[in-house]
Amino acid sequence: MRDRVLRWRTELLLAAILLGVVAVNVSLSPFYLRTGNFVNMFQLSIEKAIVAVIMTLVIINGEIDLSVASVMGFSAAVVAALHEGGSVPFAVAVVVALLAGAGAGLLHGLFVARMGLPSLVVTIAGLIGFRGAARVLVGDRSIGDFPEWFDRLGQDPLVGRFSLAFIIFVVGIVAAGVVLQRTAFGRSVYVIGNNAEVARYSGISVARVKLALLTTSGFVAGLAGVLFAARLGSVRGNLAEGFELDIITMVLLGGVSIFGGSGTLVGVALSILIILNLRSGLGLANIQATTQTGIIGALLIASVLVPNLVDRLGSWRRRSGPAVMPPPASSDTGAGEVRPVVTDPNRTAHRG
Amino acid sequence: MKTRLSLLAGVISLALLAAACGGGSEEPTETTSQAGAAEGVVTLQGGKEFKSILLPKFTGVAVFDQANQGAQEAARELGVDAAQFLGPTADNSVAGQIEIVTNAATQGVNAVMISNNAGDQIEPAVKSAVDAGVKVVSWDSPIPSGEGESLFVAQVDFDETGTVMADMALEILGADGGRFAILSASPDAANQNAWIAAMKEALKDPKYSKLELVDTVYGNDESEKSYNEALALVDKHADLKLIMAPTTVGIAAAAKAMQDEKLCDKVKVSGLGLPDEMKAYTQNGCAPQFALWSFTDLGYLTFYAAYGVATDQIKAEEGAKFKAGRMGDYTVEKDPTRDNGLRILMGPFTKYDKDNVG
Repeated sequence: MRDRVLRWRTELLLAAILLGVVAVNVSLSPFYLRTGNFVNMFQLSIEKAIVAVIMTLVIINGEIDLSVASVMGFSAAVVAALHEGGSVPFAVAVVVALLAGAGAGLLHGLFVARMGLPSLVVTIAGLIGFRGAARVLVGDRSIGDFPEWFDRLGQDPLVGRFSLAFIIFVVGIVAAGVVLQRTAFGRSVYVIGNNAEVARYSGISVARVKLALLTTSGFVAGLAGVLFAARLGSVRGNLAEGFELDIITMVLLGGVSIFGGSGTLVGVALSILIILNLRSGLGLANIQATTQTGIIGALLIASVLVPNLVDRLGSWRRRSGPAVMPPPASSDTGAGEVRPVVTDPNRTAHRG
Repeated sequence: MKTRLSLLAGVISLALLAAACGGGSEEPTETTSQAGAAEGVVTLQGGKEFKSILLPKFTGVAVFDQANQGAQEAARELGVDAAQFLGPTADNSVAGQIEIVTNAATQGVNAVMISNNAGDQIEPAVKSAVDAGVKVVSWDSPIPSGEGESLFVAQVDFDETGTVMADMALEILGADGGRFAILSASPDAANQNAWIAAMKEALKDPKYSKLELVDTVYGNDESEKSYNEALALVDKHADLKLIMAPTTVGIAAAAKAMQDEKLCDKVKVSGLGLPDEMKAYTQNGCAPQFALWSFTDLGYLTFYAAYGVATDQIKAEEGAKFKAGRMGDYTVEKDPTRDNGLRILMGPFTKYDKDNVG
């Protein structure tokens, strides 16, 4: 039990923060608990949440994809440009846009996996390049007047109260969770993130995993961009600009280590809920957008610092007192997730 | 000011209960100093429950702060809660406005007063707000389709704006004319687009035949982007003589760019600007003339209109008349610049040059 608590420490902390946010919101605003508000809460940030799921896998893998927001804009711009050109049916334009997103991801993946360049550099290039492409495609205008079905798909509920984007998010996070915790591929994502060299020696195809993840990341970003275009009903060259940091915030706040190798989708799901509830509460409390950003930033800093400080204090106390180290957890305590063999004992301190 | 308590039993259609000057007093008063209130003009009864949100295109722009001051003044006069002044950041204007309108629907406020920067993209959010019983009044920049809004408080007649800009261009460039370009705010700003369209329409008149509009670019009402776009215009069009910026952020940024690059003799700047911000550029000749209206008044009038509509004292239909405090009487009319919108026209323009810029 003791090490079960320890191993899910981050998630428990996040759950506690979430409860705190909810409690504060309930006391702040009588409107907060309306069902409609929960639907809206997701609807207003759903594209970021969708991309955060794949970003989680990319970061656990020890890489990062800073191009996602630009690829969102790029795919949306492809839809808009093809629609304005008027030569292809709209459904075809959507498919082309999704392929364009996947193509962008594949390009990044090839540079990273085949040529061994750091993803930070490659995807910053992608951030600039695909944003430029989006701006060129749309120019300085705003392209709209999409077919009615497309706008409805983005703006109206599809099943019950849930929009298509929300359904995609739920299916995506469950599927990604299963892949990450229950498959050999998922295991290799963790192992590579911990130590790519070790992974290589144990026969894992590191390049293939990285290529697959970055390509999927591009595809998901493209999908999110098309969904965003449908929700707004028009596209500008700056669509989704700056979203990459919000998305990475969701992942890091979820306790995923920026160094790779650790983190869970449970944590990221909780952190998405925290951010959405916080934004919703702050919005209903009529707090300016600029202030909201500051508060979320402070929360992120606190959530990264506090666990680390606790660890530091703990190790300092251990050095000066009797050892209270828990026995090392075996990798199948029934918590339903695989913890790869940790080669560097200091790495565990980065969880949360 | 002579006031006397009365219940005006005879007058059923109108409850003439203007809050006494100084606000807050809920005593029914009848102002007799008014030179005979015009027939059918509603004088709003103050002091009713009124929760509202004043939503600018984005925060951090002087003119919107002025509009907020005007709205607060109106709230004090009517003896009701001031509007919550809430806006998105400039770089997230569309999604941010949608978010604020969506939250307003959840909160069930009585009215949202929006300077729409999201084109038709705001419609779904506005519709759900209206379904939740929120009255939506637009000001400064309308909802292009008129869908969901009760009415639009127009600062000036949009067609007239086009003519005013064409006239200023003609005066600055003189009889020889020349090439000029437009530096607008964002491509989804309904007011900007309407003004530019009106200006293009005005330019068809033979008297402007020497003026050639060569380009339209967008600075998104961000100073830095507007500044760079202005310089890019000069680089792109060798013989450019004028940059016309119908936005206070754009005109100031363009004027600064020309001044910094010592281009003021070659390229003039004009458009819609704030006297406080433009004074130096007008006096040194970079921006010889520009125009604007009072944003304080616009916010004041908008608050009166929204309050009246939300408390069912003003009917959002053609011909409805009401008295907007110190600004006098206004009539709801069909908006000639939109197919199915209603508007209240504020007016007038003030043209500024070095004689009256302050």
